[in-house]
Amino acid sequence: MTDTPQQSTEQTKQIGKYKVAVIRDKCISAGSCTHIAPAVFELDEEGIATVISQDGNDDETKLLAAQSCPTMAITVTDTETGQQVWPPQD
Amino acid sequence: MEFQPPQKYTAKLQDKIVHNDKFIQLHFELSEPHRLSFLAGQYVSIKVADRGDRRPYSICSAPVVDHSFELLVDVTPHGVGIEYLLGLDFGAEIELLGPMGRFVVPDMPSEQALQFVATGSGIAPMRSMLLDQLQTKKDTRPMTLYWGLRHEEDTFWLLEFEELAHNFSNFSFHPVLSKPKEAWSLCRGRVTDCVKTHQQPEQAGYYLCGNSAMLEDMINILKDQKVPEEHVHHESFF
Repeated sequence: MTDTPQQSTEQTKQIGKYKVAVIRDKCISAGSCTHIAPAVFELDEEGIATVISQDGNDDETKLLAAQSCPTMAITVTDTETGQQVWPPQD
Repeated sequence: MEFQPPQKYTAKLQDKIVHNDKFIQLHFELSEPHRLSFLAGQYVSIKVADRGDRRPYSICSAPVVDHSFELLVDVTPHGVGIEYLLGLDFGAEIELLGPMGRFVVPDMPSEQALQFVATGSGIAPMRSMLLDQLQTKKDTRPMTLYWGLRHEEDTFWLLEFEELAHNFSNFSFHPVLSKPKEAWSLCRGRVTDCVKTHQQPEQAGYYLCGNSAMLEDMINILKDQKVPEEHVHHESFF
């Protein structure tokens, strides 16, 4: 597994069934994700949400954290199906 | 200060106060669990759509009442959250996560006075904090609330804050209108202008909540005044 931090506005890491990613440009530092899934997200020195682990919290908690983001700055992808779970692509 | 992880709650809409065309106050009674322990300044994340969207709303009631909570909402941005809240009937059940947020008054003796600066619905967490500090904790430190709104028609809670100032000699209140009518005799212009015209107490803690322009202005003003960073607290999701 390799990380490619700061190379694009979308920061991703991949472990587990649900993969979360933060779209840095959309993050307004609300911090909802860090309260709901503190073992997955933290705010970096710029106050932007960043993924610190994919398996720190369970999938349901990760999804709740993403759904609580007021700017939809977090995407959730099911790695088994390849489908984006959040935000729904309908 | 220790923050508990949020948990899921259900609550029912008990009351809805329409203050004016811009602001409504919603009162929810908790269903399950039936008590919510929160710190003044914290918020809840409400599920506002079947597909799972959630939106954060600051609690404006005091933590001493733990079987219910109140929200103050600006209804002018017509997003999915506002549409949902406006469509709720009395008795309708909502699902929420809470409590959340670290915008609280810490137990910090180095803050010898508390200065609250809000615009619009940014007043919500401030009301909870002031009720908690003054009425529940009997905090005797000097406290000042600066609250910026646009028009006189937008105002509400003025009597409540004036009564609080009457009952607690350590609290003072400055409502500020950016577009007042001629008869308005109090502060006019930006809320930051009103702050600047008043002598600021030494060793004060600043609590800022409102639009991003105000936050930026206030943070720069406080930086220029060499207010320590740890004495500047702000909420950024408004």
